Formats: sequence, structure tokens, C-alpha cells
Amino acid sequence: MAATIRPGQSRSGERIPFYRNVKVIGFLVQLIFLALVLLALLLLYRNISTALGKSRLPADFGFLDDRAGIPIAEAPIRYTPEYPYSRALLVGVLNTLKVSLVGVALTSLLGVLIGVMRLSQNWLLRQIATIYVATLRNTPLAVQIVFWFTAVLSPIPPRILNAAELPGGILFSNKGLAFPWLYPSYRFLAWLPWLLVALVVLIILYLVRRRQIFLSDRPGNPWPLPLLAAVVIGAVGYLVAGAGNKLPEGIAVDFNSSRGRGTVFIDANGNGRFDNDESPVPFAATTVRLSEGELTTNTQNITESGRIVHSVFRFPLIEEREVGAVEVTFVNEEDAGGFALRFTRFPTTGMVYEDRNGNGAFDRGEELEEGATTGFGNVELLLTVKDFERAVVADRDGQIRIPAFKSVGFTAQKAREEAGGSSNPFSIFSPMQSGAGGETAELAAEVDLRRSGPLVLSKPSVPVSNYVGGIRLTTSYLALLLALVVYTASFIAEIVRAGIQAVPKGQREAAQALGLSNYHTFSLVVFPQALRIILPPMISQYLNLTKNSSLAPLAAFGELFVVSSIMANQTGASIPMTVILIVSYVLISLVFAVILNLVNERIKLVER
Amino acid sequence: MALTRKPPKAQTGVLMWLRRNLFSSPANGILTIVTSVILAGAVINLLRWTLFAASWERVWVNLRLFAVFRYPVEQLWRPMVILAVIMGLLGASVGVARHGSSRILRDVYRNILGLVLALTLVALVFWESVRWLWLMVSLTSLAGYLLGAVRPRVARALPWLWAISFPVGLLLLYGVTPGSGFLPIVKGHDWGGFMLTLILTTGLIPSFPLGVALALGRRSKLPAIKYFCIGFIEIIRGAPLITWLFIASLLLPLILDTDPTNLPAVLRAYVAITLFSAAYMAENVRGGLQAVPIGQEEAARALGLSGWQTTRLIVLPQALRAVIPAIVGQAIALFKDTSLVFIVGLNDFFNVAKDIVANQPESLRIPGGIQLELSLFLALTYWFFAYRMSTASRQLERQLGVGER
Repeated sequence: MAATIRPGQSRSGERIPFYRNVKVIGFLVQLIFLALVLLALLLLYRNISTALGKSRLPADFGFLDDRAGIPIAEAPIRYTPEYPYSRALLVGVLNTLKVSLVGVALTSLLGVLIGVMRLSQNWLLRQIATIYVATLRNTPLAVQIVFWFTAVLSPIPPRILNAAELPGGILFSNKGLAFPWLYPSYRFLAWLPWLLVALVVLIILYLVRRRQIFLSDRPGNPWPLPLLAAVVIGAVGYLVAGAGNKLPEGIAVDFNSSRGRGTVFIDANGNGRFDNDESPVPFAATTVRLSEGELTTNTQNITESGRIVHSVFRFPLIEEREVGAVEVTFVNEEDAGGFALRFTRFPTTGMVYEDRNGNGAFDRGEELEEGATTGFGNVELLLTVKDFERAVVADRDGQIRIPAFKSVGFTAQKAREEAGGSSNPFSIFSPMQSGAGGETAELAAEVDLRRSGPLVLSKPSVPVSNYVGGIRLTTSYLALLLALVVYTASFIAEIVRAGIQAVPKGQREAAQALGLSNYHTFSLVVFPQALRIILPPMISQYLNLTKNSSLAPLAAFGELFVVSSIMANQTGASIPMTVILIVSYVLISLVFAVILNLVNERIKLVER
Repeated sequence: MALTRKPPKAQTGVLMWLRRNLFSSPANGILTIVTSVILAGAVINLLRWTLFAASWERVWVNLRLFAVFRYPVEQLWRPMVILAVIMGLLGASVGVARHGSSRILRDVYRNILGLVLALTLVALVFWESVRWLWLMVSLTSLAGYLLGAVRPRVARALPWLWAISFPVGLLLLYGVTPGSGFLPIVKGHDWGGFMLTLILTTGLIPSFPLGVALALGRRSKLPAIKYFCIGFIEIIRGAPLITWLFIASLLLPLILDTDPTNLPAVLRAYVAITLFSAAYMAENVRGGLQAVPIGQEEAARALGLSGWQTTRLIVLPQALRAVIPAIVGQAIALFKDTSLVFIVGLNDFFNVAKDIVANQPESLRIPGGIQLELSLFLALTYWFFAYRMSTASRQLERQLGVGER
């Protein structure tokens, strides 16, 4: 019979010396390891503290309250460079989330599409999908971002002044996309209780209906009644909350017509001016009226290929219904040297041409090309509008903005005074250059606050040289999003294909034998099973997409990494910024992973 | 009575193929036609642009910048000698294994050799300064193959030669004496172009032992070591490479308490890349370790092997063999990700195109710039190497898979 051997005892029964005892060795090894790690950390701490002592750079987080001064073009919350660093950082985090969440949704769609295409019965589609995957996943994401940003989305779309109007009021140009958007107005708070009630009713009714259906033991859909009830309550609430004409106490508009901009705000001290300590009213609907006004422009336009064309002129986007009468003339007849003028259409564009055959109309070949008419380019054009009226919804910071009209006669007079003076041939809008102090005559502009419901529809427009109103997606954002989506989709496509192929063939055959159509076989039998295989690797791709959004500096998009690196360079606070960067990314990854793993748990096959 | 039947419909031939693959149903037919019209339009436009509208001259003129950036012309023999030695070693390895099963390595060697020969031809005609250097590279690669094939005994020396070539190559590239003596030092900020991209990709080599150590540490039964490794791996993997490159350039001078100018950006980027790949390598290796059946370890212990011997002789060889495709995949990812070193101001292949060539006055004078040409050139070059590696990885996967079953 074998004797039992206790730990710490050899077979012959004598005690093992401690240096051969596995437990003791393990303990000692850990001790030595910890000592080494501690030593390294101490060394690190000493070096860093002496280096910091020498350079006097900030080593704590106190600098976060200082003024940031970082311009971020696209912020989901109110932000100006006057805000502190902490706010800039928050904007960065929100921008990271904005690009990665939208990216995850879009890349899933595209990835599944390509993955399914790879298994299509159609040879052509299969080949296209295969080429898509083989090329895009083997090209660096950095190259793809540069491609979309600098080679496609910046140079190719129309310039901002010539923004293309897509159906649905969407504007598209080299400054990105802008589309109409519903914003909560100051009435929204009155509607909020109704919404909450609707939500509660929805949940309760849903539970009740589900129970009823369960008890009645018959098939049925528990959704229609609860949804209908919730929508009715919401709609009634909307009407009630929007009824009457209750504007907030002390609301006022400070509008400077010669700059074309103003602010809607609560006038706390009643002086009619917007002071720094007064709070702006976001998303207030206003109507701006001008009885008469002028805008100037010149005919130099730079085309998409970088060529200068003298013939075409443009004014800021003005719709035909916004004006009573409109007229375009030369500012200085004598400078125009016999050229003729044609005001083509809304949005306010037209062309100047040389009427060589004297028929009073434009014919091909009469346009003023570069080189064809040397010295031309100083001719300014004047747009005079009567009864201009535009509905403007204030921005998040209470700002409203229209084209900067001058009072009638002002521009012509100024031009005459300056005749012969040098003018910058590349300035398209002289109104932007504010006249010498006090010279600008104020224009009589009326700004009315419009009644609005809890939600207000804001439409984008181009008053000067960028979008105002609506929701704007900058070129940077679009380029980054597009590159991330297209790149990640090539990985997701492979995951989807492998997942679908892993579903046993018998499942498909059985479904077909039961008489299910191709579509139903796929959507009801194959895909749900494939999803369980697909999801875990998909989650890691989603995390990759989120982390890859840090390539944003290549598209000049102000997300977490870009903001942090600017902060680190401005303040020199390397240690705090390192901690912030790592903690933020690890946290974002962790939150993503936890949520997605919860989803995974839910759809996972329940095994015994 | 003979039963007469019509012959079955032909299942082969061009028409049947078309019918089966493109026009199997009306919907499918419409899809095919619509897709091919769009595709044809895209391809024609792309071809027209590539051949007629695009200005490739700026790419052609700047090829040296793309290849080695500002590495001095009179010192160009150094990178070329390294290339020649590597090609020679590769040739010898393939030559030795001629009769073996490593068809994949041979195919890769053939592809690279083809590229080298093509470049040699171009060099002989157009590039005066490196004409003979390219010829040397070609000859060395062929000579290596012949040597390996004729004298299989060199196989014994090959691993050592490969091992030495890495540090010696870096030393040769950097130089020995400051100023203009024997092998003058070429500072890191003059390194760049595709050469730098390849150098940074070799960060995978030092990351391999680190990764194996981390993977073993993560599986260790000693909690201190285990949790240290888990923490290291997960924190590194939690944040993207670009942040680590940035952090390395901020922190390394502080940690080592030296002036930032003493630490060339190349070195900082290299450290960041190595540590970053080590974390990912560790996870790959861990996958391999988990794939080794527990019985292997138990059998080894039963034979009386010590814990370390078991790991070294039984577990690791099997685990590492299983993760070769994953490591090739990681190499592809790293090769692509080296483009991120633009953030620390390094002029690798990507940054030379994006920053230097795109902003040359001559490039800016071209209407519309040459961004499109440059990004296509970049994409194509990266793609060529990454795609070749990925096909090799797939072949490897298949080969190893067959071996297992």
C-alpha cells in the first residue's frame, strides 16, 4: 500500500528543505517580482519628478479649469474656445462616441450586405464583394482616411457658395452635409411630462396586453394598442404644451443688421443688449424682416478644379419666396466696360458675359474666361432685395444669422469713394470686410419671435460662408465616418460570411422542405443561428472601430485624441494627459464591451 | 424495346455557365445587368482618369523620397547591402528547403524576387545612383538560392545568420563614427520612406519573446505575476496604438530623465510599437496555449519533466505552431499601422506622401493637387505587400490545419 505523502514531506518521510518546496518558491518568486516592479516604479517616479521639477510643467489636474482656447468645429454640446479644458475634453469624448456609435450602426449594415453578397448565387456580386474585402482590408486605414478627406470630400463636392440642394432641403458642399433637424424649443419642458406619461402608459399597456395574449393562449401582437395610446397622449400633450403664446419672461433679440447676426436671450437687466452674464435662448424660432437691403459680390469664382472663372457670380443662398423683389446691377457701370449681365435663377446665381454679337442675350462662347479678358475681375455686382423675410431658428447658443445686408445706396457710394483703390481680388464677399468704424449705416431690421411648438424645425442655410441652422456634418466627420465604416465593413463581411457558412446545410434544406421562401429561410432560420457565431468576433470589430476613431487627426476631426493631444501640447501636462487618455479609452472600451457582451448573453444559445 | 429519351440538357459551356451564375432568375438577371452597367462605368472612368487625367509625374520624380526619404545618396549602399543580405538569406533558406514542404515560403520568395528583378531593370535604365546596387541585390538573392540548393549544409548556419542580421543591419544603417569618418552616423530624423515602414514593422521581432513571456505569465498560478500580466495586456490593448505612440513621445524622455533630443523619435516610436505588439502577441500566443490539450502537459509531467521543461519542450512548440497564421495576421496589421507614426513626426512611407510630396510647391501648382494620385499610389503599395502576406497566411492556415487532422 502506498503511503500518503503530505505536502512538504518527501516519500521517505524526511522534511523537504524550504528552498525546494514549490509553495515557498512560488511565494519567493512573487516577492522578488513585486520588489522588482516596485523598484522600477520608484525609479520611474524619481526620474519623472526630477524631470517635472526641472521643467515646472503641470503635474496635477488643476489646469483643467483654465480657458481652453481650442477651436472645435463640430461640438454636440454648446462649446466655444472660451470654455475650460474640461469642457473641451468632454466635447472630444462626445465626438468620439458620435463617430463610433454611428459608425458601428452603418458598418454593421454594410458589412452584413457585403458578407451576404460574398455568398450570393450571382457570380458578379460575389466577385465584387470578394474584391471589396481583399482590397479594403489590406490597405491602411490612415491611407483611406486621407483618401476620403483630402482627395475626395474636400476637393470634389461643390464649393459652399454653390452648395448643391438635394431633395428634402439637404445641402451638400465641400463644408459637408447639412439637413433639416427637429430641435427642442423652450416649450419642450412643458411637453416633457406628457412624454413621460406616454412612456409609462406604453410600458404598462404593453405588459397588460402581453399578459392577456399569454392567458388567452392565442397568437397576437402586443404592440399596436400600447403604441397607439402612447402616440395619442404624446400628440395631445404636444398640442396642449404648444397652445397659447407664452414666450419666456424677458426674452429679447439683440440683432445687428449690418453684421447680419444676433442673439436671442433672456434680457435680465432690460437694456436690450446681450451681455456676457445673460443666458441665450437656444432654438427659438424667429422671423427676420428687412424692407430693403443690398449685397455685393464680384464675379471671380474658383471652380472645383482650382480654375478661376470670371463669368459666374453668386450671392449667398436666398430662396425666391424669401424676397418681394430682387434686382442685380453693376456697382460701377464704367468698370463693367460694356459687359452684359444675366441673373439666371434662384438660388441667386448669374453670369456676366461679353455680348459680342449684340443680340442682348447670352450665347455660348461669350463667357469671360481666365486670360480671355485680362485685367477683368474688379467688377462688383450689387444685389438689391425688397421685402426680405427669412424664418430663422436660433442655434444652440441663441445665435441667429442672415446675410449681412447693407442699406441701399451705401455700397455704391462706398465703391465710388474707393474707386481706384486696391481691392483684394480673392475676396468674394466685400460685406465681410466691415467698413471703417461707425461708417456702416444701420439697417432697419425687424426680428419677431415666432410661436412654436415644443419642437421646432430648423432648416440649414448659407448666409455667408458656412452652414447655419439644421444639423451639420462637417467634411472631417463625414470622411472619418466613411473611412471607418468602409474599412471595418471589410472585416465584418468576412465574419458574417464565416458565420453563415457555419450554419449546417441541413438547416437550410429543412427550411426549404417546409416550404419557406428563400428570404424566409435566410431571415428566420439561417441568420438567427449565424448571429450567435457572428456576434463575439463582431464585438471586437466594434471595439476596433471605436479605437480606430483616434485616427481623427488625419481628417482634422476634434475627437478625444485630437483634443487631448492639443491639450498636451498647449499645457505641457504630459503625465495628467497620459492618465486622461488611457483612462478614457480603457473606460470607453470597457463600457462598449460590457454592453455588447450583455447583448451577446441575451441571444446566446441557452445550453443545458 | 429500347426506351428513347431526350439527352439531358447541357450543364456545361459558356451559355450554361452564364445562365447558372448570372441569370438564374429574372431578378438575378436584372441585378446582373444593373451591376455590370455601374461597374463598367466606374472602371472606364477610373481607367480614363488613371491613364489620361492623373499626373503621375510627381510620384515618379519623388520615388527616392518614398523609398528612403533623406538618407544620404552616397550612403545608400548601406540599406541596399542590408536588402541584399536579407534577400540572400531568404534565398538560401528557400534553397535549402527546396525538397521540403515549405512551398509557401518559396512562393513568397519568388514574388519578392520578381519585384526585385523588375526594380533592377527599372534601375538599370533610369536610376543612375543606385543602378549597380540594385544589380547587386538581384545577384545576391539568386546566389543565396543557389548556395542553399547546392550546399544544404548551410542550413545549420542560417538561424544564426538571421539572428545576427537584425542588430548588425540596424547598426550598419545607423553608422559608427560621428561626422564623416568610417560609416558616418545617419541620424534617425533622416530615416524615412518605405525603409522606415519596414524597420518599424520589425518591432514585431522583439515583441515576440515579450509576448510569449506575457502569455505564460497570464497563465501563471502565481497571482502577483498573473495580475501584473493581465493588467499590462488589457491596458495596452484598451487604448489605440496612436495614443501609445503619442504617449511614448511625451513620456519616454521624462521616464529616462533625458532631454527629448537625446531620444530620436524613431526609437520612441519603436519602443511604443514593440510594447503594443507584445500585448497583442500575448493574446495570440495565449490562444495557442489554450489549444494545447491538457493531456500533453500531464503526460510530460508524468514523464518527470520539470515545469519549465514541460513548457519549453512540450507546450510552447505546439502552441506556437498553431499561432503562426495569427502572427502573420498581426504582422499585416502592424505593417499597416506603422502609418500612424506621423503623429510623432516621423516621415515614414505614408507621411512622405501626405506631408512632404503633397505639399511640394511643384505638387501644389497642379490644379486640384495630387492627393488622389498619392493616395492611390500609397494604397496600391501597401496593398501589394499586405495582400501577399494575407494569402500566405491563408495558405499556412490550410497547411497547418491539414497537419493537425
